[in-house]
Amino acid sequence: MDGLHSWWEYVVGHGDDVLEATLEHAQITVVVVILATVFSVALGVCVQSRPTSKAIALAIASIFLTIPALALFALFIPLVGPGDNPAMMALFLYAILPILRNTVTGLDEVSPAVVESARGMGMSSAQRLWRVRLPLAWPLIMTGVRISTLLTVGIAAIAILVGGGGLGTFIQGGLTRLGLPNSVESVWVGTVFTVLLGLALDVVLSLVQRLTSSRGLRA
Amino acid sequence: MSEAVTPLTARWRHGRKHSVSTVAMPTGAQLWHRYSLVLAPAFIAGLGLVLWYYYNSLGVGTIAQIQVSSALDWETKLKPQLIQHLTIAAWSTLLVILVAVPLGVLLTRGGPRRIAPAVLAVANSGQALPAYGLLIIFLAAMGQGGRTVVVALVVYAILPVLRNTMVGLDGVDRSMLEAGRGMGMTRMQTLLRIELPLAVPVIVAGIRTAMVLNIGMATLAFLIGGGGLGITISSGLKLNQDAVLLVGAITVALVALTFDWFGALAERFLHPRGL
Amino acid sequence: MAGEPKIRLDHVSKIYQGAEGPAVAELTLDIDPGEILVLVGPSGCGKSTTLRLINRMIEPTSGRIYLDGDDVTDVNPDQLRRRIGYVIQQIGLFPHQTIAENVATVPKMLRWDRKRISTRVDELLELVGLDPRVYRDRYPKELSGGQAQRVGVARALGADPSIMLMDEPFGAIDPITRESLQNEFLRLQEELRKTIVFVTHDIDEAIKMGDRIAILGEQSVVHQADTPERILAYPVDDFVRSFIGAGTAMKGLAFERVGDLDLAPFDEGRNGDGKPVGTITADATLFEALEEMLRTADGKTVVVDESGRPAGVVELSHLSDALRTAQDEARRHYDELGAAS
Ligand SMILES: Nc1ncnc2c1ncn2[C@@H]1O[C@H](COP(=O)(O)OP(=O)(O)OP(=O)(O)O)[C@@H](O)[C@H]1O
Ligand SMILES: [Mg+2]
Repeated sequence: MDGLHSWWEYVVGHGDDVLEATLEHAQITVVVVILATVFSVALGVCVQSRPTSKAIALAIASIFLTIPALALFALFIPLVGPGDNPAMMALFLYAILPILRNTVTGLDEVSPAVVESARGMGMSSAQRLWRVRLPLAWPLIMTGVRISTLLTVGIAAIAILVGGGGLGTFIQGGLTRLGLPNSVESVWVGTVFTVLLGLALDVVLSLVQRLTSSRGLRA
Repeated sequence: MSEAVTPLTARWRHGRKHSVSTVAMPTGAQLWHRYSLVLAPAFIAGLGLVLWYYYNSLGVGTIAQIQVSSALDWETKLKPQLIQHLTIAAWSTLLVILVAVPLGVLLTRGGPRRIAPAVLAVANSGQALPAYGLLIIFLAAMGQGGRTVVVALVVYAILPVLRNTMVGLDGVDRSMLEAGRGMGMTRMQTLLRIELPLAVPVIVAGIRTAMVLNIGMATLAFLIGGGGLGITISSGLKLNQDAVLLVGAITVALVALTFDWFGALAERFLHPRGL
Repeated sequence: MAGEPKIRLDHVSKIYQGAEGPAVAELTLDIDPGEILVLVGPSGCGKSTTLRLINRMIEPTSGRIYLDGDDVTDVNPDQLRRRIGYVIQQIGLFPHQTIAENVATVPKMLRWDRKRISTRVDELLELVGLDPRVYRDRYPKELSGGQAQRVGVARALGADPSIMLMDEPFGAIDPITRESLQNEFLRLQEELRKTIVFVTHDIDEAIKMGDRIAILGEQSVVHQADTPERILAYPVDDFVRSFIGAGTAMKGLAFERVGDLDLAPFDEGRNGDGKPVGTITADATLFEALEEMLRTADGKTVVVDESGRPAGVVELSHLSDALRTAQDEARRHYDELGAAS
């Protein structure tokens, strides 16, 4: 109870800093996820009907996800120097697989009969994509986006190790001052607010998912 | 039942519903697996070769590059770090299996079953948990050292195995259990002979995820005095020496990719025939 | 038929947790050794529940269950189930095990030695018409629906149980395969003489498979339990009448053979008036005789012996007499029952 109290005091005392770090963390995440979504959905649409390209694209995307975060962050430093940039590039690579996978799966799962009947009604292939296949795959794609978002929020906390910002600064700050007053509180702030940010973004995205998916597709 | 599931697949698919559900895989995914199985070792070999030439070109051991040399010495730096790294990952993965699989079994039967969807929902949002923060919290509570790292890793990596165990067990067709019970199998027998064997692919996929997470998190072990290859990366950052940074990062990537590939092989190998 | 019933349900009830009323209410039913008793009734009336009470897949809320006169309501259910074969519509073959392993499930649990199990598996596969050399080492996904269901039956027969419980075993199979599975199963039963409780909601399947049929209403209330002949001839109430549906009288004709009739004499002059006359043999059923009459649009059909010579004539009046006799017999039977109680 005591810990919780002092923790809260710390949050209130550093309200501006917490808000700023949270916003920066959110900004990194949102930018990364938007870029990754555009890229992955486009890629998914391109490779979905080509088994070999599809398999290779997925295999490469899963290689990125396997490389430990700190290593992947570090690999970009020689190219772009320290800061938010190497972190965002690495996070972008991480965020691809969930969205790409779900895009491909979602498009795979569209019943051939539906596409066939769309063809029969004279829809062009672009019309079939925009009016039939993507809307049907959309709920699953959005699920991929949500997972990428959670993943990105969590991993972005170590951006601080390569000179970036975000809520990781509180964790880092706590670590360097460990043993001094408020150090543990600082770590907790960084951790808890990261999780809360993840949950908040997930709630927002689940609303977006709901509003942008056809009512006929809801479970 | 589903086919094999790659490390994180169950996580992706799970997001769909916050409930216990079968993990299904699309047909195209099988091909992906085959490619991963072949592409990954090719990629690993290529990356290894690059690292080898790069490392040799640095002239480690010559006096000219004193900073680089001392940070990258194989006998005193890289080798012990590699061993530490693997030890941490191995212990935490082992402990995760020992805790999460029985827990998953427990949570899919009897009374505890009712809280299963809640556990899965928590497991799902737990993905946003920052590994870094968790590690430091455990540092504050338990002090420096490898043991702290292992405990933090176990907590962090328990979720995928727990989730996949539950999802895998739950995905077993009810009619199979009905048939088994109908022939007079005890609950233990249906668990050991039907449910677990059928859930193995999904559980192994979860273990593979946990292993990869553990190798990744062991990279941060240096932050709390646990050693590992993260030391080399961080020296590279601190000394502002790209060479050190690159050797460290590529080595870690190689370790992770190699073990992930072992995991893929295990999944392939442990997949029950007939599925 | 006198003597001890093989299975006796004595005022058995089942109330599912959270359910308003009982799924099975005070059911009392005797099943004789070696008979096939078919449970039919509308969906949700409690047929499966009744069946699953017998091998204690679900525990009765009240009442007793006896097998061979022994009260098994409280014995270890797992031990009990190894003595009772159980076949379900979804079959439930274990996909990670070969056909041989599937069939060996119960013998293995009973710790038979390996040689005995292996012999038994081959024997069972042959029994259900699957060549062991071909099918032993296959996996369930490599079987057709009909083959899978045969394996399901073989597996249930594993340790030679004297009782078989079958819950819509042929329900998910196409009509043609179902028909041949039914026939094979009846042939098998000639040989095996198991006591079988068979659930279906198809009245035609019930008539075909059952030595006796129990027609169940809501909560497994037995409206009528009797031979198919009697049920068709004399449905005791409206529920049974509407359940067995139209064409009942005609279905009843399938139980009697032409050879058992007192045929009208064959008269060359009267019968040979130039019209085509249908012919049947003495082992045809009355139903077939009727069909022949309808086919030739004639009120009669000629019965021929092995050498093709006319032996007599079946007339429409034979059929209506046969139906009337069956109805009278059934009515008398029920009157006696009524008087006795
Ligand atoms: N596990 C259960 N829990 C609660 N109620 C159940 C359960 N199983 C069955 N019931 C209810 O009990 C009643 C009888 O079900 P049962 O499965 O025995 O019907 P049935 O005659 O086999 O129907 P069908 O022909 O559709 O298979 C139904 O109203 C059903 O909803
Ligand atoms: Mg039923």
